Amino acid sequence: MRPALLIAGKDLRLRFRDRSALVLGFVAPLAIATVMSFAFGGAADFHVTVVVVDRDGGDLAAALTSVLRSDDLQEILTVETADSVAEASRTIDDGDAQAGLVIPEGFTDAVAGPSPKGLEVLTSVDDAIAGQVVRSIASSFTAQLDADRLSVATALAAGAPADDLEALVAAATEERLPVALAEQDTGARPLTALSYYAPGMGIFFLFFAISFTARGWYAEAREGTLERMAAAASTGQILLGKAISVFAYGLASLGTMALVTSVVFGADWGGPLPAATLITAVVLSVVCLTAFVIVVARTERQAEGLSSMLVFGLALLGGNFVVISGAPVLLRRLALITPNGWALRGFVDVSTGPHAMAAVWTPLAGILAFSAVVAAITAALARRMELP
Amino acid sequence: MDRAAADGEGEPARAPLLACSGLVKRFGDRVAVDGVSFAIAPGETYGLLGPNGAGKTTTIRLVCGLLARDGGEVLLDGRPVDRAHADTRSAIGFVPQEVALYPDLSAAENLRFFGRLYGMGGADLDQRVAEVLDLVDLADRAGDRVDTFSGGMKRRLNIGAGLVHRPRLLVLDEPTVGVDPQSRHAILERVQALGSQGMAVLYTTHYMEEAERICDRVGIVDRGRLVAEGTRRELVAHIAEHDHVKLSATGDLAAFAEACRAAEGVSQVDVGAGEVDVVVDDGRRFLPRVVEVAERCGVAISGIEVTEPDLEAVFLHLTGTALRE
Ligand SMILES: Nc1ncnc2c1ncn2[C@@H]1O[C@H](COP(=O)(O)OP(=O)(O)O)[C@@H](O)[C@H]1O
Ligand SMILES: [Mg+2]
Repeated sequence: MRPALLIAGKDLRLRFRDRSALVLGFVAPLAIATVMSFAFGGAADFHVTVVVVDRDGGDLAAALTSVLRSDDLQEILTVETADSVAEASRTIDDGDAQAGLVIPEGFTDAVAGPSPKGLEVLTSVDDAIAGQVVRSIASSFTAQLDADRLSVATALAAGAPADDLEALVAAATEERLPVALAEQDTGARPLTALSYYAPGMGIFFLFFAISFTARGWYAEAREGTLERMAAAASTGQILLGKAISVFAYGLASLGTMALVTSVVFGADWGGPLPAATLITAVVLSVVCLTAFVIVVARTERQAEGLSSMLVFGLALLGGNFVVISGAPVLLRRLALITPNGWALRGFVDVSTGPHAMAAVWTPLAGILAFSAVVAAITAALARRMELP
Repeated sequence: MDRAAADGEGEPARAPLLACSGLVKRFGDRVAVDGVSFAIAPGETYGLLGPNGAGKTTTIRLVCGLLARDGGEVLLDGRPVDRAHADTRSAIGFVPQEVALYPDLSAAENLRFFGRLYGMGGADLDQRVAEVLDLVDLADRAGDRVDTFSGGMKRRLNIGAGLVHRPRLLVLDEPTVGVDPQSRHAILERVQALGSQGMAVLYTTHYMEEAERICDRVGIVDRGRLVAEGTRRELVAHIAEHDHVKLSATGDLAAFAEACRAAEGVSQVDVGAGEVDVVVDDGRRFLPRVVEVAERCGVAISGIEVTEPDLEAVFLHLTGTALRE
């Protein structure tokens, strides 16, 4: 046990000296939560003027613009238009707008193709928050598109006839955007967007621990420190050390997120005990996923690829970007194969209900079942593992 | 040097600390290590010399219990070394070929971490870390992060990290690759000093000069096999090559050559324009004689050069390929 704790201590020390890990674990989720609390909290004195450059001119561009002009956002967002990026930049430089959004040419057409086109956000150095707000709205919109593409692809894979494709696409794009879901009545108490996105974003960023821990394992293999540790400790002790460090880091990251968003912005995580239970469980699932990636991948590249697939796949399926209770049945079912889907459902249930542990048991069982399956596969594969 | 030479057959002079026999490692179809056996006594520096890809690193990883063996055994003080035996593992200090240190930690923090992994702690660890930092000449940089160090400093600390837990066998994998001549010199000196303090050292290299300079005995590896083993003298004798004494001289060179041919141990004498090349068993011992003979024949010597066959020649002889491309 001592070697495992030493290795965990060393990893945590390194993590807290690594700026990008700190940003991913603490700064980014908090910044986004802050932005969302501004965006959804209706703070009266917060207002952004955004210049939209529509180089696409298609339906999707129109949909995005109308989202930006929607009643829900009216209080915080004024939309102007510009004909060119240069003109938009000038408007921002002159201080007449705080941010810009460029919808690229072919945006609408690309959505049916294999690779979507990204939205470009123009920001002003004078107003970083405005840029963040527009960026988070833009990425919610694209995440929604991705979720739609995924649900369509999944439906096709599951055997939906191709004729239904158009209907499916139409149904999928008609889902409500998260920004339109500032308040959604799901029970005794309204679910505020922040109470959904605070754990949603917290878990999403927590997933990056899978990626940097697994990559770190291969980086240590490349640099020889893994071998040096292996000369002193068993592979099991090293893996356990890594697991402990991910666990501690995860608790710190998600715990901070819970504490800050509830104390500062009034997000509802469902009370200390249910929240702590769900947080611990979801962090445990991240530990199992990390060990899984380490055992399955053979190279740093594979580790990177596999973990980004898991991070984005799980986040999309589990509904970290979209409020899943507003999604089609199929998507909601799919969400329940993911630990984050279960956790978010738990947070919704417990924060809209009477803050009781009763609401936690089912999601907890779901997360633990997922973790147990991943752990079992990992343990079976680890038996045949040699150090890279 | 040549402490083991008296022993003749390339066996260590004392009871071995490390004894490897019949080591085999396969990667798929490729046999990376093919029946390698050797032993190292306390205080002895043993070199594994071979070109890139010969199987040196794999052999070392087997010795340290970092890879599962497909055959053979590794005994340290008569007890098996593998991942399951912490006590034998901690008698070995392993220095990987890469600079295996955490760049974001300080020199002292790195040493402390690896020392702790071997169960050290408290005042003993503090004292030992200071000692090792001193030994590798980094005492004044103890608190600085490793990523601020020069290549040579990192290399020295890399060796230090393998020494913290006071191992009895130090295993170094090509510790001078990519190092400037001055740092290389410093590293070799330190390894030599450790050997003379009683530490057993296993040292791999593809530099013939390094093996000749610091190793008491050398094992020559090629394509996974240990093709020859012994002190430098033994290895050279093994291939039956001789020393050359080359003289630049003026006078009656023909008479001089004739007189040389009569001398003991001389097998061949070639005369060129102002030059004589004498092939002899032991060049150094022949030197005083050749001067004497020259005086007798009235020949004035303006230059003498003795060349002894080196491990490069041994390698070429044994494998038919040059050690380095
Ligand atoms: N993990 C591995 N998987 C497959 N082949 C390997 C592995 N490690 C080493 N080898 C092969 O084994 C042989 C010996 O390699 P190595 O021990 O690294 O040689 P050296 O250290 O003498 O340069 C080489 O042909 C190398 O390609
Ligand atoms: Mg090597």
